[in-house]
Amino acid sequence: MPFHSFFQWCDDTALAVAIRDSRFLFPIIESIHILALAVLLGTVIVVSLRLLGVGLTRSSASEVYGTLSGLRNGALVTMIVTGFMLFSSEAIKCYENPPFWAKMIMLFFAIVFQYTVVRSTTNKPAVSLSRFRATAAACLSLFLWFGVGAAGRAIGFY
Amino acid sequence: MSIVEMCQWLQDTSIGTSIRESTWVFPILEGTHLLGIAASVGTLLVMDLRLAGVLFKREAFSQVTKAVMPISLVGFTIMFVTGILLFWCQAVKAYGSIYFKIKITLLLLAGINALIFELTLRRKSAAWDNDPVPPLRARMAGITGLILWAGVICAGRTMAYNF
Repeated sequence: MPFHSFFQWCDDTALAVAIRDSRFLFPIIESIHILALAVLLGTVIVVSLRLLGVGLTRSSASEVYGTLSGLRNGALVTMIVTGFMLFSSEAIKCYENPPFWAKMIMLFFAIVFQYTVVRSTTNKPAVSLSRFRATAAACLSLFLWFGVGAAGRAIGFY
Repeated sequence: MSIVEMCQWLQDTSIGTSIRESTWVFPILEGTHLLGIAASVGTLLVMDLRLAGVLFKREAFSQVTKAVMPISLVGFTIMFVTGILLFWCQAVKAYGSIYFKIKITLLLLAGINALIFELTLRRKSAAWDNDPVPPLRARMAGITGLILWAGVICAGRTMAYNF
């Protein structure tokens, strides 16, 4: 159980205890977490639409990606920070929660895919970008990020 | 019949009862509701930031709207349908929650904000469609909409907690 002691440590931190002991901290942090999710999914949708060749055609895919970088990175950092806070307040519960693990695995792939395949696909000049690659990158990133959201919601229901 | 009695009647209907008592339907509705919000508000964010003169200044406002609005509308539809079903199965609890009332109020204000925009500024949008930074009133409409929607999400999430 390599993870269990780490989870136990998180569960015992002062931050985790403070969140558990407060009636308001968890809902407040969770609201921020969800706002950031909406921002992030918004950027993912707009970039995917551009890769699919819909709208915003005065800008290249790389310009659309670049314009949204601040929002995307800001939202992702916010989600990771607030997400870690929420997690630590119920780390031991998460350890036995299959949707939590599904979410972490999808999150890992979503982040890697975002900053490798999606970024390099948007950087490719339109002439040398195959329709298949653009469509696949767009659909897969939508699937992965919406999957992260769905699995995240499922944590609370399991 | 008071409003509470109507809520009680609504959640006692067979649809309300079966959603509430089902293991899977409620979580699936909740999850779909959340993703619908993310899709609609996330894309609305991009439109409103263009309206505020922050992002995509080189694209015409109408171009950004045309690209993103269909997704927003699909997201809003999903959100409304799932939202109504979620209310249906727990109407009394929702009606008793101050956060639900805040949420509905903010939702109405967001609707009014959008309606005023559509009926006034949007009609004359040809005059500023290509401006990198739209007129002050348009920028205000965009920022107001974003603040209201952020409030809708926070109040909606908070409904789940009994303070």
